[in-house]
Amino acid sequence: MPNLPERKVGLIACSGEDLPEGTVSREAALRVLERLRPGRTVTLCLPLFLAGEERERAFARFFPTIAIDGCEKRCAARATEMYSARPAVSLVVSELRERLGLDPPKRVRGPDAAREVLALATAEAVAGEVDRLLERARAVSRAAEPVAAIIRSDGGAHGTGKEAEAVCSCASDIPVQKVDVDGRTVEVIALPLIFSQFLQEGRHPDEGATADALMEQVRIYNPVPPESDASLRGALLNAYEGFWAEAIGTGGS
Amino acid sequence: MAGEFIETTVDKFVFRVKRDCWYSPSGVWVQPEDGVGRVGVSDFLQQRSGDVAFVDVRPVGTVLAAGDEFASIETMKVDLALDSPVSGVIAVVNNELAGSPELVNEDPYGEGWLALVELSDWEAERRTLLDADQYLEMIRVQALEEMGRT
Amino acid sequence: MSDAHDREVIIIPCSGIGKALGSVGREAAYVVAEELRPGCTSTVCLSLLTLGDEETRRRVRQHPTITIDGCPKACARVNVEHAGASPAATFRVFDVFRRHKELKVRRVSDIGDAGEAMARMLAEEIADEVDELRAEKE
Repeated sequence: MPNLPERKVGLIACSGEDLPEGTVSREAALRVLERLRPGRTVTLCLPLFLAGEERERAFARFFPTIAIDGCEKRCAARATEMYSARPAVSLVVSELRERLGLDPPKRVRGPDAAREVLALATAEAVAGEVDRLLERARAVSRAAEPVAAIIRSDGGAHGTGKEAEAVCSCASDIPVQKVDVDGRTVEVIALPLIFSQFLQEGRHPDEGATADALMEQVRIYNPVPPESDASLRGALLNAYEGFWAEAIGTGGS
Repeated sequence: MAGEFIETTVDKFVFRVKRDCWYSPSGVWVQPEDGVGRVGVSDFLQQRSGDVAFVDVRPVGTVLAAGDEFASIETMKVDLALDSPVSGVIAVVNNELAGSPELVNEDPYGEGWLALVELSDWEAERRTLLDADQYLEMIRVQALEEMGRT
Repeated sequence: MSDAHDREVIIIPCSGIGKALGSVGREAAYVVAEELRPGCTSTVCLSLLTLGDEETRRRVRQHPTITIDGCPKACARVNVEHAGASPAATFRVFDVFRRHKELKVRRVSDIGDAGEAMARMLAEEIADEVDELRAEKE
């Protein structure tokens, strides 16, 4: 089974030119990239993203992203969702400032103590989210190993036969799995590893908390149109029931 | 053209390697064409180097030994001397690059070629170069190291 | 956001975060709007424009725009055109670097003295263009 590529988190900042909080979003993203979490993060260039650069959009489709917006208009978050996938985290500098009770920044450039304080606080908040997302991704990877061992040790009797063969066409080695959604075959990125994680956590296939959690995880890596929510939810649960049954060896749900 | 390139992805970066070229470890490619080698920089090298502002290739008639500096590129990030992967004589220089150095970034295996070299010892020197698969693996490892992973 | 929005020429940098020249272009825009031609220039958020904000689009339709791009990908120009506008003038920081290659700007987060110098040179050129555009309108 291919290992999930060691994950990084994409940071996409609005860099809004018209207000100081836009500069804060930019400064915070760069601080996280260069100092707080070097080697664990990648910046996505929003103008390139909007202009149609496929590499930027593909990364945001397959890896978790944190959108850092200056104001409530949320340009970075909206663009990410529009062209790739919903960001895993959407952070708004103006809202963070109010929550922390910090002074409003005054200048878009040049010395501004309030802007510097806010940029530091925003960077710390983003770094915390990076850690949380990476820990969640590591749990997915760790879950894959014992399941793979179970499959190998008994000659594959409990293997699903679907894992470890298909990988994402973006050449990122992320495993994918096809599910039937209302008669259509849909490729879901990272699904084998999500199932492995859920199995490891002992989550029984049930409509309710498990189905909610499945949808939440799948949305991190796959764009899901709202109108497809219900259908996909049913398809995922059905596929997970099959995965669970094979892995546990009950022969059925 | 399907199958003309192989590629590897590291983070958001996709690095393409052209199949019918041979590569020096430093990232200069050569494509043999009837006794003449077309040379340029690889996609990996151009992405690492940044937007090319100036290209300087030694003039037509220059005699090269493999390993001699034959060109240089200048970007905001680096001033890069390029060593020839082959021995021979520079027959043609891509003069388009004087006015459009961005061709090296936009089309490193196509319109961004640097020079044509009349090859003097191709069969022996070919064995010292990396084929596309070997070069792809090399840059994949290098990219992973540079981007913060072991 | 403020009465500054009725100023005559709109300066739109790409603010690309992947390359140092994106930061230089952003700085150049602010030098023009805050120092060289205050009162007759302003900036807009490029992403707001591209994502269809009506107020931003109104401003860009009503006033001439100048785009500043960090690199040959020209995202500011491309995004302005995608939004249905046509820049009155386009500038590339990269072209300034080609004329002054001794000015190496290495970091996106801190453009340093070289970046400040490059931004100022570019800002002067843009300010001249602003004057020409305003003269055409009179």
